[in-house]
Amino acid sequence: MLLNPAIIALLIASLVSLLMIGWSSLFGWQVLRNWDIRSGSEGQLILERRTYLVSTLLSFVFAVQAISLLLFIFNAEQMSSLFVGAMCAVGTLNVNPYGMPTLLIKIVVFFLAAIWLVINQLDTRGYDYPLTRHKYRLLLAITPFVALEAYLQLQYFLGLDADVITSCCGSLFGGERETLATELAGLPPLPAMFGFYIIIGLTIASALWYQRRRTGGYLLAGMSALGFAASIVAIVSFLSLYIYEHPHHHCPFCVLQGEYHFQGYLLYIPLFAATALGLGVGVIQPFKQVASLREVAPVMARRLGLAALALFLFFTLWTILAIWNSNLRLIGA
Amino acid sequence: MIELRAIRKVFNQGRHNEFCALHDVDLSIGENQVTVLRGPSGSGKTTLLSIIGCLSRPTSGRVSLQQRDISGFSERFLTDIRRHTFGFVFQQFNLIKGISVLENVMTPAYPLGLDYAELRQRALALLEQMQLGHRASAPVEWLSGGEAQRAAIARALINDPQVIIADEPTANLDTHLSKRFLEIAERLRERGKTLLLTSHDPLVCESAVVDRVVEMRDGRLV
Repeated sequence: MLLNPAIIALLIASLVSLLMIGWSSLFGWQVLRNWDIRSGSEGQLILERRTYLVSTLLSFVFAVQAISLLLFIFNAEQMSSLFVGAMCAVGTLNVNPYGMPTLLIKIVVFFLAAIWLVINQLDTRGYDYPLTRHKYRLLLAITPFVALEAYLQLQYFLGLDADVITSCCGSLFGGERETLATELAGLPPLPAMFGFYIIIGLTIASALWYQRRRTGGYLLAGMSALGFAASIVAIVSFLSLYIYEHPHHHCPFCVLQGEYHFQGYLLYIPLFAATALGLGVGVIQPFKQVASLREVAPVMARRLGLAALALFLFFTLWTILAIWNSNLRLIGA
Repeated sequence: MIELRAIRKVFNQGRHNEFCALHDVDLSIGENQVTVLRGPSGSGKTTLLSIIGCLSRPTSGRVSLQQRDISGFSERFLTDIRRHTFGFVFQQFNLIKGISVLENVMTPAYPLGLDYAELRQRALALLEQMQLGHRASAPVEWLSGGEAQRAAIARALINDPQVIIADEPTANLDTHLSKRFLEIAERLRERGKTLLLTSHDPLVCESAVVDRVVEMRDGRLV
């Protein structure tokens, strides 16, 4: 299993990311201890110059993390044919106890990385290193998650055993046991649909409000997080049913299969990106009053907000289109 | 206008050929003045000039421009300062061969994305001021030493910088052309520009145009 090209790529990416983040964290620790922008000492000037190298390196690492999340899911989907009982990524991820936690931690790292990238981008726009300490504090907070992700992923891949009979998505989302997955799958379609479109509508409205009034950045960030959660619930509870045209197929992973025209990628990529961008708008808000960022921070927040708005709109329209084009009728049938 | 605090510049630091070009230099340069850095070869004049003009960074110490510390700026901000605040006249003029005098003068303004016709007019006006209007379309290889220097000055002025930096501007000129350079320097000062020159030419250092001569030796101010 370890000789699968995608697994090799994921393990190398994870190892390289961990090494780079580890080295950057050591540098970050030096910054937190010795940074003094008023000093013209040799040490301070070296820190100032090196911070650009480290920022560039970390931007690369976090971009790799985002790609790694995508590849991890894609690979799980592709490998499902190798395991007895697996119909999609759910089966592959359930081969051992490390699969699902790896996916969850990858998602957490993705959002933390997005926040770090926003802070870093803003910091490089200020002439006096306004957020340097903040970004290295955040980096030190992210490092354990990256290390945990690398450990879980390695354990997961080392523990992949083709002889294990795994469970398919039907048993996870439609079994008798009461789990979060079965709870979500068991939600009645109509209230779930109303709830989803109200929340996603409010999320889009908050993004529009931000574009027009330049206020409500925290609201947009909060609504983006809520919109993300509501969207995942919606995909499991009713949207998947429309895509599969099957009243009991709630799997959020089968939508990634070619059989369903890879529609899942068109749902998840805009959703994840929109949420990260929306959170980024909130992250910028406390720094709008920093003297060197007074001009650039609102512009950047507005651009991120606009991108979030466009992607949330795309996601919502795509869900409407999926329901519209489906032969399944859950309401009014 | 420009403040230097404890500037130190070390080349090849930590290697066997480590060389300290500047030792704890403190200097302040006033606005709308002509300042000359004078000293023998190897005294650190050009190194200091390149640090002030954001062409290189100090090993330690701070440089501030209009009370804003610029020594720690990233390349993004330094490029902006170099484009808008400083105009450079190099010792060898560094005109680009193969293109015309006019194109050479216009080159530093291209990244600003100005209207081409307006930029061309501005460049021609500068060449007229430098009495080089008739040579605008000539390739730079055809220029004499004095003409090349005036073309370099016109190029330094194209973005209307506040500070003109000239490294040994009269090193390759005879007495007559050196005097013409000083006349241009005086006109620039009258227009409110700040000039910072390096020179060990007595004609420049003893000229009435010069407000201040800063003596340098072995990387220190004397």
